[in-house]
Amino acid sequence: MINALRWLIFAIAALGMNFPILVTLATSFKSARELSTNPGLWVQAPTLDNYFAVFQVSDRLNIFLYLFNSITVAFIGTTLAVVLALPAAYAIARGKLGERTLLPFIVNLRAVPLIIFAIPLYMMFQWLALLDTRLGLGLILSIVNLPLALVILVNAIRDLPAELDEAALMDGASRAQILLSVIAPVCRPAIVTSLIFGFITAWNEFLFGLMLTTSKAVPITVGASFFFAASGGGVQWGVASAVMVVGALPPILLGLIMYRQISGSMTAGAVKG
Amino acid sequence: MNTQRAHSSEFRLLVTPLVLFLLVFLGFPAIVNLIYSISDVSFETLRQPRITGLSNFAAVWNDSAFWQASWFSLRFGVLTALLECGLGLFLAIFLSPLIERRSWLMAILMLPLMVAPALVGLMYRLVLHEFAGPVPYYLWAWFGASFSFLGPTSAFWTLIVVETLQWTPFALLLFYMAYRAIPTEIVEASAMDGARRWHLLWFIELPLMAPTIVVALLIRFIDGFRVFDNVYVLTGSGPGGSTASLSIYIYEAFFKQGAIGKAVAASVILFAVSFAVLYGLNLIASRRKGAVK
Amino acid sequence: MGTISLRQAGKQYGAVEIIKDLDMEIADGEFVVIVGPSGCGKSTLLRMIAGLEQTTSGQILIDGRDMTAASPVERKLAMVFQSYALYPHMTVRQNMGFGLKLARLSAGKIKAKVDAAADRLKLTPLLDRYPKELSGGQRQRVAIGRAIVREPVGFLFDEPLSNLDAALRVDMRLEIAKLHRTLGATMIYVTHDQVEAMTLADRIVVLKDGRVMQHGSPHELYQNPANLFVAQFIGSPKMNVLPCQRNGDGMLDLSGEGIVDLALSSSAAPVHLGARPEHLSLVAPESGHCRGTVEAREYLGGTTSVFVRNPKLGLINVSAPAETQFGIGETIGVRIDNSRLSLFDNTGTAVRTLR
Ligand SMILES: Nc1ncnc2c1ncn2[C@@H]1O[C@H](COP(=O)(O)OP(=O)(O)OP(=O)(O)O)[C@@H](O)[C@H]1O
Ligand SMILES: [Mg+2]
Repeated sequence: MINALRWLIFAIAALGMNFPILVTLATSFKSARELSTNPGLWVQAPTLDNYFAVFQVSDRLNIFLYLFNSITVAFIGTTLAVVLALPAAYAIARGKLGERTLLPFIVNLRAVPLIIFAIPLYMMFQWLALLDTRLGLGLILSIVNLPLALVILVNAIRDLPAELDEAALMDGASRAQILLSVIAPVCRPAIVTSLIFGFITAWNEFLFGLMLTTSKAVPITVGASFFFAASGGGVQWGVASAVMVVGALPPILLGLIMYRQISGSMTAGAVKG
Repeated sequence: MNTQRAHSSEFRLLVTPLVLFLLVFLGFPAIVNLIYSISDVSFETLRQPRITGLSNFAAVWNDSAFWQASWFSLRFGVLTALLECGLGLFLAIFLSPLIERRSWLMAILMLPLMVAPALVGLMYRLVLHEFAGPVPYYLWAWFGASFSFLGPTSAFWTLIVVETLQWTPFALLLFYMAYRAIPTEIVEASAMDGARRWHLLWFIELPLMAPTIVVALLIRFIDGFRVFDNVYVLTGSGPGGSTASLSIYIYEAFFKQGAIGKAVAASVILFAVSFAVLYGLNLIASRRKGAVK
Repeated sequence: MGTISLRQAGKQYGAVEIIKDLDMEIADGEFVVIVGPSGCGKSTLLRMIAGLEQTTSGQILIDGRDMTAASPVERKLAMVFQSYALYPHMTVRQNMGFGLKLARLSAGKIKAKVDAAADRLKLTPLLDRYPKELSGGQRQRVAIGRAIVREPVGFLFDEPLSNLDAALRVDMRLEIAKLHRTLGATMIYVTHDQVEAMTLADRIVVLKDGRVMQHGSPHELYQNPANLFVAQFIGSPKMNVLPCQRNGDGMLDLSGEGIVDLALSSSAAPVHLGARPEHLSLVAPESGHCRGTVEAREYLGGTTSVFVRNPKLGLINVSAPAETQFGIGETIGVRIDNSRLSLFDNTGTAVRTLR
């Protein structure tokens, strides 16, 4: 009896929280004609037309470019964050360097409204000619990803026995060698987690994409909104839905494949940080 | 000279890249922020800002839109944090017997977390659309009436619901983990002591989860307070600036009005307040830890 | 060569002195075992010698050269850790060869050395396994193998056997003893285990609160403890300590419970009498040095420990023949072998004035 109630609540929660995703998915398979008569959740005559339309490149809309931009900036923003965070995490966890200064500062960064850095970054990028470039957006996304990557990696390294380092020191390794040939391979799960997490975060980022790009480096989150203003006569909901499905799919798939690691590190980032 | 000292210089070398990176991409902007906030500056005079003192801060202080945005962010942060954590706590505990045995249920509940808030905002434009949206459609079909979700009186509450539905899974996930981490011995011991289900929840489980609840409330408040993406794409700042968060206020001051000084001054205020609050919280947290030990 | 000398070596953490002005000379090829209560600084001392812990005062010399500030590799010492600390992502072969690889030896040389070490430790069939695929004893052997491939001048062991079960511990103990004989290298070995200390050591160093209480051969420490602490720390079961004082005749008075006939020099003022359980015997009440009631009996197979309660002297542990049949509560006499006892003055220092 109580179990039936649990299932009912679960169904309501799952439906409610995923409602916009379901609606968008359904709408993306509706033809323009069906859309005007049937706004409901059920698709009467599924069609892929909207997806063909989305992947049609015009001089104003180019979904391939947006996807490519998102992949590139997410890649830069993720790897750079991990490449910077891993050695620092090692120095923090083992060298006790910046444990009370750098670490809390970076962890707090996760909680600071990033808009406060956006304006000077915009101006700085203007001077450096990094506006509307994938590199520029990738650099900023690595700042967004740094706090969580650092927390995950510091926790992972702290969990390793110090004797492992000491054995390597006795073997004659330098700290950099220990990091590369002992710590990094042993921490691979944590590194993978921070990469995935970073990729999802970077892919989903919107504010900096909106501010720092205009055409060449526009990521999909911003590009998707272009489809809403596509034609003069109002929004083509079918096409708009298809583009949102395309834009939401990569992080959803990554998340579904890796959700165990992600749920673990979400708690890590939240509670231990 | 010393081994230990040699070690620490090696370690110092390892943090150097990160520190340099932060200095360039955060330190430098912070300085620019500070200078511009006390200057008379426009897009034409970016390189020769004229120091004018605190007039930008005065402008922000006297701008009713700034206070409206602050009030919006504060209310939005508090309400969504409470709703998300309340709902998440209930679901975590009530559904945990189901999820324990089938972890894919959690994957389904976690889906909204994977989707960009900007896209979720755009999705709601469809969901709530008066002709194409299923919500008004079903409301008409079942109740013969619907209402304007993004109108002046309702937009705020619609945004609250949108944010809550997307981020409740975050709280749910944290609470579920904390709930599962409660040692079974403790639960069994309290059962031996004759605790009823309700007592168990109130005297054992909730107190043990309290630190997680505090953390979740805090994180969700912060994220709600600085909200930008979904609000911006769903309502812009309208109707009539009623849904401008502080982030949107700064963004619009800069990009729409070109009021660089004002935008930067607001950023500095936000920066100072957030770091003061965060620093205070850290202090309290470390005090606590000290007291427990 | 592998002489190790500590000159006034000290270690401080902030204001806390963990190791205090320690002097020690370890000869080439010597097997030194460091024992002491938990937290006395054994690991710290070993790690100072290894170079893993900074020495805050004094000097550490290896083969006569000042190595106080040298890095661990420069000291040419190898260490075996309690938790083995094998690299989990490397095979046994890679684990053993890692140090050689860092020293830029050629692949052929590495292989030859690893193979030789593996052969010596019977690890050859395991060379391509990962640490998680090994048993505890095998892991321990790999850790030792990793230490010997680099042909160090000395080996440092920090409780290397404490994670193994009892039977395996005996095997590995013998193996380490054999290794020491064949390699002839200097070894410093930290342990909690009495038996390991007694059987392995050329010399035992007893540490307390960062100071050396006594050092010497196992026999010396057992027979002639320099102080009450060493007397009670070395030997299992523990030495009995009974209150006593000298009487007017220069004899030893057991708090009025009996007299031990023992002539003391005029200056000696012992207040504690130490007697190991095996140097006591149970006799008829009237023929013992003191008497008491049997409070408990523990049958140990080879012997039986009989605990005799005397109201003034406390609980006395007597190691009796296994088949001893005294009933609980029975009154009984205890005889002390007066040629084997130790005496201590009120500072706990041994009084060596027996004639
Ligand atoms: N990093 C440190 N900071 C401050 N004190 C320390 C530190 N490391 C060890 N100590 C202290 O130094 C003392 C000696 O520690 P050590 O590990 O050498 O003891 P030990 O004799 O090896 O003990 P055990 O037998 O339990 O292994 C202990 O009191 C310990 O608390
Ligand atoms: Mg120790």
